[in-house]
Amino acid sequence: MHQSKSKPESRLAAITFFAKTHPGDVCGSNGLPLTPNSIAILGRAQKLKELKHPHLCQYLDFVRGKHERTIVVSEYFGTTLQDKSRSVLIEPLVVRIFYQIVCALKALTEHNLVVHNLEPKHVLLDDCDNVKLFNYGLYHMTRCGDYVPFPIGNVRYMSPERFLGSKNNIKSDIWSLGMIVAELLLQTKFWPNLKISNIARKILSFCQTNNVFERIAREHNCLERYEQINGELRILIENCLSVTPAKRPLPTDLFTHEVFSKDIEAYAYTEPPKPTILLYRCPLEQIYYWWQLAGGDVQGELKKEGLIRSEAPILAIPQLVCLNGKIVGPKRSQSYLMDDRVVPLKLNNLYEKLCNQPAMAYFPLIHSPKFPHNFGAGMEQLPLVIRERDIEYQFYRVRLFSRLLKGYPYTSEMIRKEAAKDIPPYLRGPIWSCLLDVIPIGSYGKIDKFTPTSTDRQIEVDIPRCHQYDELLSSPEGHCKLKRLLKAWVTAHPQYVYWQGLDSLTAPFLYLNFNNEELAFLSLYKFIPKYLQWFFLKDNSAIIKEYLSKFSQLTAFHEPLLAKHLASINFIPELFAIPWFLTMFSHVFPLHKIMHLWDKLMLGDSSYPLYIGIAILKQLKNTLLASGFNECILLFSDLPDIVMESCVFESQKMYECTPKSVSHRFHVLRETPLTEFDLTPDVTLSHLQAEMCPRISANDFTSLLHYAPTDMCALDLRSAVEFSHVRVPHSINVPFVAAQLAEPRLDALGVSQLVEMLQGRIVICMSNKHEHEFSKFLVECGVQRVCVLHKGFNILHTIEPNILISN
Amino acid sequence: MEKLNGKNQVDFIYNYKNYNDEDSSVRIGIELPFDAENECLDELVTRLLNDMDPMQRYLDENISLKAALRQFIQEENQKFLDNFAEQLLEQARQNEFDLEAVIRKTERHYKDEIIQFADRVGPSDEDIFAQSFHRLVHSSSLEEILKREGAYAKVISDITTQMDREVETLNSAQQQEMDSKIKQLDITTTPDDINNLLAQQYSTQNYIRQRYESELQAKRGHQRNEYRNWITSQVGKIFESSPATTPLGNRSSMFISQQPSMEESFTIHLGSQLKHMHNIRILSADVTDLCSPLHVDESLNGLNMALGLYSSSLCGVVVLTPSIQAQANKSIIKNANMSTEFHFDQIDDQLEKIEKQIFTLSVNDSPTPSMQSYNSATNGSGVGDISMPNNNGSGTSSSGGSPTKTATTKLKTGDFFITKHSNLSQSHVIFHLISDEPINSPSEINSRHPVILGLRNILKTASRHDVTTLTIPALLRHEMSEDMTVQWCMRRAELVFKCAKGFMIESASWGGAELSTLQLLLPHDISEELFTTLAGMVPNVFRVANPKILVDSNK
Repeated sequence: MHQSKSKPESRLAAITFFAKTHPGDVCGSNGLPLTPNSIAILGRAQKLKELKHPHLCQYLDFVRGKHERTIVVSEYFGTTLQDKSRSVLIEPLVVRIFYQIVCALKALTEHNLVVHNLEPKHVLLDDCDNVKLFNYGLYHMTRCGDYVPFPIGNVRYMSPERFLGSKNNIKSDIWSLGMIVAELLLQTKFWPNLKISNIARKILSFCQTNNVFERIAREHNCLERYEQINGELRILIENCLSVTPAKRPLPTDLFTHEVFSKDIEAYAYTEPPKPTILLYRCPLEQIYYWWQLAGGDVQGELKKEGLIRSEAPILAIPQLVCLNGKIVGPKRSQSYLMDDRVVPLKLNNLYEKLCNQPAMAYFPLIHSPKFPHNFGAGMEQLPLVIRERDIEYQFYRVRLFSRLLKGYPYTSEMIRKEAAKDIPPYLRGPIWSCLLDVIPIGSYGKIDKFTPTSTDRQIEVDIPRCHQYDELLSSPEGHCKLKRLLKAWVTAHPQYVYWQGLDSLTAPFLYLNFNNEELAFLSLYKFIPKYLQWFFLKDNSAIIKEYLSKFSQLTAFHEPLLAKHLASINFIPELFAIPWFLTMFSHVFPLHKIMHLWDKLMLGDSSYPLYIGIAILKQLKNTLLASGFNECILLFSDLPDIVMESCVFESQKMYECTPKSVSHRFHVLRETPLTEFDLTPDVTLSHLQAEMCPRISANDFTSLLHYAPTDMCALDLRSAVEFSHVRVPHSINVPFVAAQLAEPRLDALGVSQLVEMLQGRIVICMSNKHEHEFSKFLVECGVQRVCVLHKGFNILHTIEPNILISN
Repeated sequence: MEKLNGKNQVDFIYNYKNYNDEDSSVRIGIELPFDAENECLDELVTRLLNDMDPMQRYLDENISLKAALRQFIQEENQKFLDNFAEQLLEQARQNEFDLEAVIRKTERHYKDEIIQFADRVGPSDEDIFAQSFHRLVHSSSLEEILKREGAYAKVISDITTQMDREVETLNSAQQQEMDSKIKQLDITTTPDDINNLLAQQYSTQNYIRQRYESELQAKRGHQRNEYRNWITSQVGKIFESSPATTPLGNRSSMFISQQPSMEESFTIHLGSQLKHMHNIRILSADVTDLCSPLHVDESLNGLNMALGLYSSSLCGVVVLTPSIQAQANKSIIKNANMSTEFHFDQIDDQLEKIEKQIFTLSVNDSPTPSMQSYNSATNGSGVGDISMPNNNGSGTSSSGGSPTKTATTKLKTGDFFITKHSNLSQSHVIFHLISDEPINSPSEINSRHPVILGLRNILKTASRHDVTTLTIPALLRHEMSEDMTVQWCMRRAELVFKCAKGFMIESASWGGAELSTLQLLLPHDISEELFTTLAGMVPNVFRVANPKILVDSNK
C-alpha cells in the first residue's frame, strides 16, 4: 500500500503568554507560599484537553516555560475567518458559519465555558467550510483573566456590559457572534481605523440605542445592504445584538432556530474526506506526541518566530531590592507583553520519519496471525529509556496498544503480554487500569466526596506536601482532585482508615489520569487489595509486622551477607521500610521513577514489592556493609538517588527465581484456598520473626524436583541411618551435629565441594528438627537462597505420587 | 419551584418519589453567581442525596437529581448574570459610571499589556550591543576582543599608576618641604605660613589628581566609544561570513585559582522525592579577590567572563556593606576602575544612580493607605517586623511635610543594591547587601533576621535573572575578629547553611533559573582548623550525592 506523497500541512500551532507574577512575598491562607500563576493555569487548562468536538480545535498540550511563561499547543489549520472574509462571502456561507459557531458555543456552554475572545481571527475554516473555534479556552484557563496581566478579547467584538465588568455570561459571546456575522453580511469591517478608546466609546454609546445592527449599518453606509438581508436572519442578528443581555438568545435557542433548521443540510458539519496521509487518520494527540519524539520542540519553534526573545538577563537585573518588597530596576522589557501571534508547528520531520511505515503498522490487526503486529521486534533489546524516546518504536507501540485498549476487556490477556515487554508512556494510565482489571461503571459519581469527615484535616495537611515538584499535582486543580480521590477512597472503605501515605499512593494514578478521576479512583481501588491488602486497617500492626519479617527473610534468602550485617547492628526493617511498602515506594521516589517501577509491579503479584525493597538494599550494599547503625539511619532518612533501571532489573530477576511459597504471607487476598502441602496458617508471626530463613512448601519442593532439579539442592539433615532408609533423589546428607556450627565456615561440615554444589541453587534444608539452626548457619556462611522445608521431611511421605527413594 | 431568597441565593427544591412511592422533596440554597470552580455540581448533588434515604442512592436517584439541578442552576445563573449585566448597563445609561474613565482604563490596559497596541519601542542600544557582543564573543573574534580589551586596560592602568607615582613623588617632595618649614617654625616661619603651605600643597595635589581624573574619564569615554563602535562594525562582517551559533549557557568553570586559598567542593541533592543536583563550594578568600580586576596579567584575560556576560548563566557575589548610603566596598570600586567598563556605566556612575533611586524611593515612600496595607501584608507573613539595627523609622518618619534627605536616604538591613560588571574576575553581578552588624561584637541572629531575609531575596532575584553561580559570605562577615569564637562561627555557619538550603529547595518552585553552584565564602583570615570544621558541616547540612560507580553488570 502506498501513501500519496503530498506535502503534509501543519495541523498544530502554539501560542504563548506570560502569567502574572505574584507581588513580593505573599503567602496563601494556609501559610504556604502561593502557587505560581503559570501552574494554576496549567492545572485549569487540563480540562480543555478533553473537549473533542467537530467545531472546536482540540487542545493538546500546555507547557510551562521559564519565568512564568505558558505555551499552549492546539489543533490549528485551514484559514481564519479574518483572511477568508477579505473576499465577499455569499449569504448561505455566512449563515453556515453563523450556525456552526452556534454549535461550538452550545458545546462550550454544556461544559460551563464561555469564550470571551470570540473574533474572526479565532474562527477557522477548513476546505469544506467547516468552522472550528480556536483559542476559546484562554478565558477559562486564566480564570477570567485573573492569572494574566493582559486583557482578554478583541475590543471590536466586545459587548458593552463586558466593559463595565460583567463576566462569565455566554450572552456576551452571543454579542460577539452577532458582530462577526453582521460584519460578514454587511461585507465591511467595522471601525477599521479607530483607536481602542474610540471603539470602546462607540460600543458603550450603544447603551442608548434600540437597534444596534441598523445603527452600525447606517454608520458604515451599508443601509442598503442591511435592508437586503433576509428578514428572519436580520431579526436574529438584531436579537443577538440587543443591548439587554436577557433579550439575546442562548446558544440552545439559536441552535434550533428556524433560520437554520429550514436548510440544516447546507449548514451542518460536512464530514471531510478521509485524509490520504495515513498519519492524519491517527488521533491528533498521538500525532503531537510523536511530533515531540521526532525532535519537535515547541519552545524552539516559538523562538524561531521571535515569540520567545532571549534578551540578555543581565540587562534586566534590578538596581535596588528592599525587604519591604520594593524593587527598582530597568523598565519591563516589551518581550514580556502579550503577543497573540500563532505559530504553526511543522510536521515535515515527523512525516518523513513515518511516511514509509506500512498501513499495517498504522492499523495493526491483532486477531489475524497471518498479519503479525510485531513491528519493532528487534528493538526490545535496547534499554528502556532509549525505547521510550524512539519515535518509530513508540509509534508501533502506541498504535498497537490503542487498538488493544479498544478491545478491552476481551484483549486483557494480550495487553498483559504486550505490557510485559514495556508500556508506552503515552498510554500508561489506561494500560495500568487494564492490568488492574478496572472496568468503569460510573460508580465513582455516587460516592460521597464532600461531606466533611474527621480525616479531612490530615488530608488537607498532606496534600500540599505530596509530590509538589510536579506541576499538575501542585496546581490548585490537582489539589482538589487529589482531595476528592482520597475522600472517595475513605468513604468507599468504611473498614479502613486514612493512613498518611495514601496521598503518595494516589498521586501516580492521578498524575496519569488527571482528566479521568474515575479511572484514577478505580485503579487505586483495585491496586490496594492487590498489593496492600489490610494495610489500611486501623490496627495494621499484625500485617505490617508479617510483611517486614518476610522482608527480612527474603533479604537473607537473596543477600545473606547483608542480612547478617543488618541483623548484627540491629538495623531492622521497621526503622526504614514501612513508608516504602505502605506507599509502594511512591513516597520515596519521584514520579518518573515510580512509573517504571510500577510498570513491572503491575505485572507481578503481591510479593513483588518485597524484591524491590531488596533491590534497593542491594544497590546500597557497599555503603550499608561499611556503616553502623547511626550511619544507616542517616542514609535512609533521605534515601539517596537510586538507579531505577537496575533496581527494576534486579527485582524482576529475584521475583522470577524465588519459589512462590518462599514469599508466602498469610495476609494477602487469596483466590485459591491453601492445602496441606502449602504453607499452612499455623506458621505464625512469631515463627517468622524467629526464623532467619523462609520456609518452602512441599508443593513448590515437588515441582522444583520435577521440573527444575538443577536449580535446587536439597540438604538432608537427618542421620545417615534415616537417610539410607528413605531419601529424596539427588539430595545430600549432612547429618546435623551442633558442634560443627560454632564457626560460620562451610568446610566445617566436612562435605567435599559443598560450596560448588550450593552455588546458584535454591538450598532446601530438610529435617524434622534443627533445620532452622542449620539454615541460619548457612546464611552466616554467606550461602544464598537458603530455605527450609515446611513441616519437615515427614510431609514428603504423604505426597502423591511418591517422590522418595527407599531402600 | 423556587423563590428568590435574599439577594444572591435561590432555593432549589427537588421533588421525587421515594422507594415507597411517596412524594418527597429536598431543598438546598444555591449562591449566585454559581461558581462552577469551587462549588461543583457533584458536591451539591451529594449534599442533597445525603438528605434523602440512603436507599435512593442505590435507586440511581443521583442521575435525575443531577440533571434537574444542572438545568435549574443553568437557568437561574443565566437569569442572575443577565440581571447583573442589565443593572450595569442601566447604571451606564443613568450616567452613574464615569464612562470616560472606563474607556481610558481599557485603553491603558490594552496598550500596556498587548504588543499589538503598545507603543513599540525598538530594541535599545544596550540590547543591540549585547546581542552583537554575544554573537562576536562566541566566534573566532574572541581572541581579538580580549586582546583589544587588554590593551585598553593597560592604558588605563598605566595612567593610574602614573598618577599614583606622581602623587607619591609630590607627596614626598611636599613632605620634605613641610618638614623643613616646620623645623624653621618660630624661626623664620609663622604658623600662618605653614597653614598657607598646607593649603597650597593640598590644592596642588588636588590639581594633579583632578587632571588625571579628567584624563582618565576622557580616556575611558574615548575607549568605550571606540570599543563599542568596533564591536558593532565587526558583527556585520561576522554575520556575512558565518552564522555562528551562540551557545546559550556557559557552564565552564569561572574559577581561576589565583592564590592558594582553602576550598572544598561537594555535589549535593536537594528535594525529598525529585532530587535536584547542585554544586557547593566552600572556600576562604578575601571577597575582593572574587572581584579582582581583569587584564592585570595574562591568566586573567576575562575569557570566561566575556563568554558568560550576556548568557543565562551569570555569576554573582554577595558583598556585605554598612548602611551608610549606597556605599560599596572601596577596593571593589578601585578594582572596577582599573579598566574601562565597556558594557555598563562606570561603577561610580552606577552607584550615583542608585543613590538617586534610593532618594526618590524614600520621597515617594510617604505612607499612603495602600502602601501601609501592603506593608502589613508583608508583616503578616513575618517578613518585616523584626527590630532592625539602625532602623530609626526612616522609611515612615516623613509622614508630614517634605522629607529631609538625611533621614530617608538610608537603606535598611536586608535591603540590597546591585552593580553590574564586565571587568571583574569572578562576578558579573555584585549584590551589595546591607548589614550593620558591629565589627567587634558578634551577635546572635535567627532565621527571621533581616540579613537572612535579604539573602533569600538575593536568591530569588538570582533565580529570576539567571544568576546561576552565587557566592555568599557564610558567616555574614568578611573579616575575622577576636570575639568570633569557634562556637559562634559554627552556630552562624549552620544557620546560613540551613537557610541557604531552605531557600534553594524553595527556589525550585519559583520557576526561574536553577542555582547550579553556591559558593560559601569564609573570611580570608580564617584558621585552617576552623575552615576544616566548617567545611565538615557542609555534608551534614546538605545531602551529598552518592558517587556514581561504574560496575560491570555482567559480574
